[in-house]
Amino acid sequence: MQTKPNTIYRALDRKAAALTEFTMRQYRTKVSTWVVLGVGLVAISLVMLIYIDVMATGFESVDNDGDSFDYDNDGYPNGQELKLGTDPYMADSNPGLLDPPVEPEPASNYIDEDGFDITLEGTSNLQSTGFDDDGDCYNYDGTSSRKDANNNNIECDVLLVQNRYTGEWEVVYDLNVDEDPDDAAYAAEATHMAFVLGIGKMGFVLLLGLFLPLFLATGLIRDEMSAGTMHFMLAKPIARTEVFLYRILGYLGIVWPYFIVLGVIFATISGFMGPSEGLFRFQDLGVWLAIVFATMMASFVYGMLFCTMGVMWRYGIVLAIPFAAWELGMCLVSMGAPDAAILRFSVIGWALMIVDSAAVMVWPNMDMFLLQGTTFEDGGPGNFLSIIESSALALDFFYSKPGTGSSGLASSVIATVVLLIQGAFLWFIGGAIFKGKEIE
Amino acid sequence: MMPDFDQDGKGQTKQWQPDLTAPAVLLEGVSKSYGRIFALSNITMALNGGVTGVLGMNGAGKSTMFKLLMGKLKPSQGKIRLFGTDPWKNPAPYARVGFVPEHEKMYDWMTAHQFVSTFARLNGLTRAEAGIEADRVLNFVGLADVAHKKLGQYSKGMRQRAKIAHALVNDPDLIILDEPLQGCDPLARTTIMNVIRELGRMGRTVLVSSHILQEIERITEQIIILHNGRLLALGNLHAIREKLDQIPHRITIETDDAKALAKDVIDMDEVQGISFPDQKNLTIQTHNLGAIHAQLPKVIVDHAHKVHSIDNPDDDLASILGYLTNGGGV
Amino acid sequence: MTETPPVELGPGEYGAEAPVTGQGRMEAAWGSSEGDEDLSDTQMTQPTSTGHVFEQVYKPWQGELNPRWMRNWAILRHHLLGIFKKGHRPWGMPTRLFILVVFLASLSDAALTLLSGLLGEASIHQLWGVSRDNLYGHVLGFFPRNVLYYPIVAALLVGSVISEDRQHGTSALYFSRPITRFDYVGMKFISVALIQAIVVLLTLTLYYLAEIISLGRGWAWILDTFPLFLAAFLSGFLLIFTYTSIGLALSSVSKGKFFPGIGLLAIVLGTKVLAVLVSTLFDREILYLLSPYDCMAHVGQTIIGTQPTYDQYSWTWSLASLVAMNALALYTLSARVSTMEVTRE
Repeated sequence: MQTKPNTIYRALDRKAAALTEFTMRQYRTKVSTWVVLGVGLVAISLVMLIYIDVMATGFESVDNDGDSFDYDNDGYPNGQELKLGTDPYMADSNPGLLDPPVEPEPASNYIDEDGFDITLEGTSNLQSTGFDDDGDCYNYDGTSSRKDANNNNIECDVLLVQNRYTGEWEVVYDLNVDEDPDDAAYAAEATHMAFVLGIGKMGFVLLLGLFLPLFLATGLIRDEMSAGTMHFMLAKPIARTEVFLYRILGYLGIVWPYFIVLGVIFATISGFMGPSEGLFRFQDLGVWLAIVFATMMASFVYGMLFCTMGVMWRYGIVLAIPFAAWELGMCLVSMGAPDAAILRFSVIGWALMIVDSAAVMVWPNMDMFLLQGTTFEDGGPGNFLSIIESSALALDFFYSKPGTGSSGLASSVIATVVLLIQGAFLWFIGGAIFKGKEIE
Repeated sequence: MMPDFDQDGKGQTKQWQPDLTAPAVLLEGVSKSYGRIFALSNITMALNGGVTGVLGMNGAGKSTMFKLLMGKLKPSQGKIRLFGTDPWKNPAPYARVGFVPEHEKMYDWMTAHQFVSTFARLNGLTRAEAGIEADRVLNFVGLADVAHKKLGQYSKGMRQRAKIAHALVNDPDLIILDEPLQGCDPLARTTIMNVIRELGRMGRTVLVSSHILQEIERITEQIIILHNGRLLALGNLHAIREKLDQIPHRITIETDDAKALAKDVIDMDEVQGISFPDQKNLTIQTHNLGAIHAQLPKVIVDHAHKVHSIDNPDDDLASILGYLTNGGGV
Repeated sequence: MTETPPVELGPGEYGAEAPVTGQGRMEAAWGSSEGDEDLSDTQMTQPTSTGHVFEQVYKPWQGELNPRWMRNWAILRHHLLGIFKKGHRPWGMPTRLFILVVFLASLSDAALTLLSGLLGEASIHQLWGVSRDNLYGHVLGFFPRNVLYYPIVAALLVGSVISEDRQHGTSALYFSRPITRFDYVGMKFISVALIQAIVVLLTLTLYYLAEIISLGRGWAWILDTFPLFLAAFLSGFLLIFTYTSIGLALSSVSKGKFFPGIGLLAIVLGTKVLAVLVSTLFDREILYLLSPYDCMAHVGQTIIGTQPTYDQYSWTWSLASLVAMNALALYTLSARVSTMEVTRE
């Protein structure tokens, strides 16, 4: 008559639903949950507000090579005179005297007139690329050797040299080639991407992914144990490992929707605010998806970890806090040296790898883009750090290639699997410790 | 492993096949020590059916024994079996057990109905079943009319009853109640005692602890006496009482004229000695407390004595324990 | 309470001569503790025939109360000695262990200075000896001192100092004595601050002394560097005060075991991370004003005289922000403590 075996695992699903639901309700009734979630929202919204302000203000384009200036006051900007071969420093030599006469162009045409043309082609580690759009190199009145500053026997080009050992590319410009790109466009693009990566990695994965579990998961089991209410749960036919898991599921039931909602809001706002040809930057959605996913994975592993620490010891916080500081350090390491071996021993290193992989897949031209910006020499008036360079440096700080060295998709799968294994392992450890705990 | 959102089917509780040969509770040489202190030492007993009162002073090991039974603590020595299964290793027998912990703290933000039904679902009941069962047990403990009030607004006695309801929701064969009467007002006590008696009548095995003999007396006749972690006495209250009757008991009567009363009392067979601590007090010594108590009111009424109080200074747990520990136990 | 003769209620059924039936007494003795009799039986069949009303006279205690400082000193001593030995406030072994570890780790520069003096190695001394930057670094260096050492010590100390009292109901033990709430909190504040001072300021002083002793520094050097030392000491004081006030405010707000410690850490490190994020992304340093650590670092850099790393605004902004943070924290603390219910929660 009895067909089902007499195990407690038979009605597992109902218990899981009950305990998960219970845990979520318990969170919802606590003020501290809302305070923590609210403060988290306010904190990263601050960054978002500044981003909105920066994007709304826009970036000012600079005439990097000074050829919008009309030195000889003849009504023709230097750039136009250079292009047409008249002497920009002599008022009586100007394009108006040519046959047929040329009308003066507005100076603004010569602010961003020589954009980046460098591209990487093939596998050669010595490549000639680039083009002098405004002719101020071709028309330069000088010797051939001065037009070929990078000594590759090609006048007015850009030489790309790959370092034999590090594999990094170096850019050597000829005089006046690609010297006046569109600063505003570049800075907007770079700043936007840096923002997405920065808020994703440090705002979502680090701050929210680390501190929310610290607040919410540390006491998940321990608080019940010290309050004595754990007796109610453990008086039921349910294994302690299950209690551990279902409590975690309840915690995830609170934080995961929070991350998803926050991710949707941020992706929407930044999609509209960011520079794009259409109305919305659809290409970033892949990165946002990875950010939310990485945060969810990180919060899952951290939740398991901090809950385990809470179970292990009444003073679990003493273990959790130094670990949190360690993860903070690892986050910074991963920005600078994403392939450092030490990152394999952290949680955040793997979580950030998911974001990195997505960025590699979504923005395939990132290498060239960064190369343009970080090696850009300010040829313009004054020796300031151009907005191109500063925005490129910020992007370079937050962008890194997945440290495994494999492709984007492979790395993200590897990282996800590793995080899942970490979480499962911590569940195993935490469950085993909880099982061996005597509950007063 | 996926949550069963349809929540159909029946919980496992009803289908659980008990191991009918094993006793509900079995302890064999169980000891529990904290460092060099023994909270429980070498307890051996088996219980099946009926209400059993566990008596002992504070710190006698009542709660420790219950926590050992419920798998909260690991025995230092010995073997514990609930329905033939070791509760420390396997939570399965809890499907047939209800436990009322002594802790006061509860989930104040839940209503009693939510509390009972949520934990019923941990027994494997579906949401719908749990709701029905919760209604049933809350009605049983007399909380039906306040079932949807928050536990935080409950009085002490109502909370105890809610805890009992939570323990009964899976229709358990064994119910363990740790100090269920502590801190309750008389009305709540009555209700809780009735509930416990009713459970005994239904053939369940009930273990209930208290440090007050009179409370236990009103619930059951089968008792266990623990003292300093040792099992002092086990069995029928009357049997233990009879053994206790072999030592003299004292009854102190406060009256207007002690000497006059003494004259009337001395005629009774069971009275072995009389003394007068002062003018208005009379102390009777006897081996048979029950007989004296049966006759005394008649004597007083017949002779129209003015009695202010009758007191049994020995009829409390402390003096029983004193006898048991000094007299070599049972 | 003084004995007063019972007030006579007059003759009749309430008078002293009224017959004693014992009924009232039996009701009083049994009725309240028993519950299983039929309730109708406990209804009185006739009114109580006797009764006394005692006049309540409370006589104030005329004894000499110890001065306020002596009572406060007792609280302070109780908290401070708890770090070192048993029988005083229990701080928890891990906390004490961590403080010891941090104390030793904070002395690393002193140890290396001693070593350089012993070996006569100038290169070690150049790196670790007393200098403007190293004095700043001892107190306000970000990594590891203000990530792993000081905030965590503060977090562990404040974690339970008020919230545990509320949780266990031991605050009632204080408030049932002639101690004002202000004194109670004040002493908690000072004791937590003093324990941190052992870790921060004592090690700073030892470091300075190590330099004097190991290198045989004379008066000229001391006169030269003492203002720097004082400035570093002042920064350390600021650091301790700020961490303590924020931490205690959090401790007074919550009753959880973990919340205040994690909260303090989240505030110190979280605002720092946000500020770094914004300054890296947008080259705007405005959010540093929200970070307690950065405000202290800015003020410290100014008074010690090291190279400032914040250059978009004046250090007075940082100081103002620091004052505002402390004011807010202290206000929260005092508001919470003055309205705190002395119950076990």
